[in-house]
Amino acid sequence: MSMVPGLGLLKGMALTLRRFFQPAVTIKYPEVDPDIAVKNRGRLQLLYDEHGTLKCETCFQCAQACPIECIDMGGTDTKGRYAVHWGAAETYGERREESALRRAGREVPDAPSTRFDPVNLDAVDAILEDHDHDPHRMLSILEATQAEFGHLPVAALKHISHRTGAWYAMIYGTASYYRHLRFERTVEEVAVCRCTACLMAGGGRVAQAIGASLGTELGRPTPDGRIRFTWCPTHLPGAPAPLVTVDGEPQPEVTVANAATWAQALAGEHPATRTVH
Amino acid sequence: MTAVTGYWNRLSVPSKVLLVAIPTLVVLGAVATVALAILVPPLVDFLAANEDLVRFLLAATIIIVITIPTAFVIIYLELKVIARMNLRVGPDRVGPWGTAQSLAHGFKFLSKEDFTPRGVDVPIFTLAPVAVFLATIMGLLVIPFAPGLVAQDLNIALLYFFAMGGLSVVGLMMAGWASFNKYSLIGALRAAAQAISYEIPLTLSVVGVVILAGTMSLNTIVEQQAGSFLDWNVWKQPLGLLIFFIAATAEANRTPLDMTEADQEIVAGFATEYSGMRYGFFFFAEYVNVFVISALTVVLFFGGWNAPFDWPFPVQVTLDPASLGIGLLFLVAVVPVLGTILLALPFWLLSSRISTLQALAIGFVLFNLLAVGALLGWAFISFDWVVGLLWMMLKSYVFVFVFVQMRATFPRVRVDQLMGFAWKWLLPAALLNIFVTAIAVSLVANG
Amino acid sequence: MTTPTRPSLDDPSLAIPVEHAGIFDPIPVARTERQREFYALKDGELLLNIGPQHPSTHGVLRMIVKINGEQVVDLDPVLGYLHRGVEKLCENADYHQVISQVDPLEYISSLFTEWGAVLSFEKLLDVEVPRRAEYIRVLSAELNRVASHMLYLGWMALDLGGITPILWSFAERDEITEILGALTGQKLLFNYFRIGGVNGDLNHEFMSRLGDWMSRVGAQLEAGMGLLNENEIFVRRARGIGVIDRETALRMCVSGPNLRASGVPFDIRRAHPYSVYPELDFDIPTRQEGDSLARYLLRMDEVKQSLRIIDQCLHRMPDGPVSAKLPRLLRPRPGRAFSAVEAPRGLYSTYVVSDGTDQPFRMRIHDPSFVHLQLVPLLMPGNLIPDTMVIVAGLDPIMGGVDK
Repeated sequence: MSMVPGLGLLKGMALTLRRFFQPAVTIKYPEVDPDIAVKNRGRLQLLYDEHGTLKCETCFQCAQACPIECIDMGGTDTKGRYAVHWGAAETYGERREESALRRAGREVPDAPSTRFDPVNLDAVDAILEDHDHDPHRMLSILEATQAEFGHLPVAALKHISHRTGAWYAMIYGTASYYRHLRFERTVEEVAVCRCTACLMAGGGRVAQAIGASLGTELGRPTPDGRIRFTWCPTHLPGAPAPLVTVDGEPQPEVTVANAATWAQALAGEHPATRTVH
Repeated sequence: MTAVTGYWNRLSVPSKVLLVAIPTLVVLGAVATVALAILVPPLVDFLAANEDLVRFLLAATIIIVITIPTAFVIIYLELKVIARMNLRVGPDRVGPWGTAQSLAHGFKFLSKEDFTPRGVDVPIFTLAPVAVFLATIMGLLVIPFAPGLVAQDLNIALLYFFAMGGLSVVGLMMAGWASFNKYSLIGALRAAAQAISYEIPLTLSVVGVVILAGTMSLNTIVEQQAGSFLDWNVWKQPLGLLIFFIAATAEANRTPLDMTEADQEIVAGFATEYSGMRYGFFFFAEYVNVFVISALTVVLFFGGWNAPFDWPFPVQVTLDPASLGIGLLFLVAVVPVLGTILLALPFWLLSSRISTLQALAIGFVLFNLLAVGALLGWAFISFDWVVGLLWMMLKSYVFVFVFVQMRATFPRVRVDQLMGFAWKWLLPAALLNIFVTAIAVSLVANG
Repeated sequence: MTTPTRPSLDDPSLAIPVEHAGIFDPIPVARTERQREFYALKDGELLLNIGPQHPSTHGVLRMIVKINGEQVVDLDPVLGYLHRGVEKLCENADYHQVISQVDPLEYISSLFTEWGAVLSFEKLLDVEVPRRAEYIRVLSAELNRVASHMLYLGWMALDLGGITPILWSFAERDEITEILGALTGQKLLFNYFRIGGVNGDLNHEFMSRLGDWMSRVGAQLEAGMGLLNENEIFVRRARGIGVIDRETALRMCVSGPNLRASGVPFDIRRAHPYSVYPELDFDIPTRQEGDSLARYLLRMDEVKQSLRIIDQCLHRMPDGPVSAKLPRLLRPRPGRAFSAVEAPRGLYSTYVVSDGTDQPFRMRIHDPSFVHLQLVPLLMPGNLIPDTMVIVAGLDPIMGGVDK
């Protein structure tokens, strides 16, 4: 405290005035990159060696050491027999289905190892050419791709990522944000009702005819996966017998006589021009 | 027809806008000119008949309209200046150098849900922001901004001004009481206590100035400080200035004397239950209050709209647009287009990255800046009220800067220390000031 | 199938029983003696809740103050809003994993929490820590102490209404966290100490940043933090507020800078030395007044002492390994171990009970902020509401440690 009352206040004002003219210490991210230390452990990434191979050998040491058990890894053993996972799968909601499947002895879908089907990339090239390979127009590129293929195949997205330079994760994020873009083919569900009234009206023969035309049988999808052929859970009130529904909508024009041709017509339509629900 | 449709489809969006807008504007312009030519003369006659009323209405409208941009400018200034003092950058992203930040704040307040909590006293709750804002605007009515630019030249202007300051306290108390919230109540009572404590030193500190000037009319006080900066009242009333400044800080609820809205203790004080535009009203009112108090400081102590030294202008340069005749039409139609193109040409020629449209836009902006600058320059040298207004604004904003710097620098004074300071130090100092001024005036008057 | 009815807001059977002391003032039923005494309102008193969501409580601290006008008659701090069950989590973690679990206890000064845990484990395991590792521990811990005190200085000013010093002190603190980031890899929860040493040796980037900072810091601190030392408003707000006299401090188990500000020159680094502190030369600043201003000024003095220690560590750094060789799976002998370190807030102690398995049986952590918050109801009555902030901020609590 100084002798003169108020001097401290004036010294404070002088100090702030001096600081007013000093440059700011703010680092203007993202235009300026912050000077991050080499030893920074913030970004979690798997490392590659100088030949481009992944260094990770799935030895589980990191998963075992992690205090909060947040590292999850999976792989097959060296002979390709066992799918090994770390972590209590039952405790994570998105792993529950897998765990149940595994315990039931059924096949477990393993997304990272699933190969994606190749598609004809010329159409994708044409779309990219149209949009000038500009990643800023990703939404219209994706919409055009969906119009072409009926959905967004992984191969097409990888190709787009490759050509435009945008990260695959970004493209995936953009696509999953919009409701009208989808990653899987629309599976149309053709259902035949098996209640007594429909069976008496010829439902069995209708089901056989449709199954023969689609190349599948009741309860299984078509070979190309575009149509799922199943049975109705219940007879819809007011619908005629035999009841055939497409995506839940009853199709009254289907009878025993024209079931085969109707199914063929349904199977022959381009998926993109069908109305989507 | 298909050729037209094909052409239309191939245009880009800005081109479409221009293709529709330009003919529309031309037609509208023609229609508007004709309408104005018919309607304006009788209107002018009517207005000339009731000149005083028109003048007052115009002044009040301008004042009300000016408060919002003033608040925006001061908010932006505060954010940037405090940031710079904190070694930060401040708003940077919205608009060039963050200038649109205040607009963004305004929109944010407008878009927020404006709810009335259960249990509040609805009429008082609704009217409190109105009262606070009204008090500030009514205070602005008597400040002389330039010779001839005072909304109402009352001869008790100073007394009226302090009365309006009291009205804003009524608004704060209404807000705090009606809010049905303990924090608001504490804030309101603190506001009342603080206002009462500092009202008296505030009014007493300017009595010295009133004694020297002989009138309470602010316009006259400013006129009496004409000349050079040695004629300003600050040399004659330094203690008065100090007391006035401190008491005005308290009246405006600014740090270090902002107990009423102490963020760190009672959330937002009296305004805790307010959201959306009502909260915006309170804080616009506070920032306009800062400007008003700065303006009053300048008017009372720093010469108002007088320049610090003898200003050789105004030099009358009369411009008579009507004498140009058809040349006026030529001026209005051709010069902007030509100016835009001329100013856009260097950008368009020298950089291949800039498209034609962008270059034209830059040229248009630059032409506007030049034209406005030229107009302002002509006004500056031709009209004395422009000069006065500019000096007044400059000086007021210097004090706004001082207020903002005080907010950046000082912590808050505790509530009992605040009131103790007012009653034990400022009040006796103000009385001493009056005493000394009166003695000095009577000595000088008597030889 | 009938849809289940939603419970009505006006259903009397669902209401929590309340007693109405006034028209608008429901008070919960008092269950303890202290609550009964607290909730009994006399004429003119008001219960104000400075709640867990507040611009100014140091984390999630809830204080119920009973005020009469502006004066605080009584104060009831309610803790536990940040309780995460850390001690229980430590029971389910390996000895190596415990270190990352105790980091977020005093998140501003996390190296000290790690140090406490690691010291107790080393006592259980009879591990000899290499001397270079000890010096690196002291160096990084003292850097962390400076950073923690920087935060304190700024935060104290912010609670009083000054919005500038906190940004200046954060600029200082940012430099220190960058330096520690170059050493440890993280900037806040360092996870750097290991049982038997530290995680990695000093590297070139750390040394260059540290050297650059050390050459500037003295002048910077003098220039910047002097804003508040002489500011009359600040001094008048903090002087004489929250005076803790010697007897009260000793009775309430106050430790660290709060104790030294009341005149008791007690520092664990000298009283029960650990690591290489006996070899280092530093003073223990003490002040006699015991008010908030003394606590503030004392921490500024401590920063200077810490800078001395850092300087000495840099000059005396021995060579050698930075970590002792330990097996991956640690199974200490059954037993108990206790260790105390001088954290920036006071005495931070860790008590470990081991049952021979690879996970501790029990870890009990004594955090200084928890103890200091018990002082607040003693210091508050008679002061005003704004002083609440001065006192709480002056004691420097970190709610992570308070609630564990």
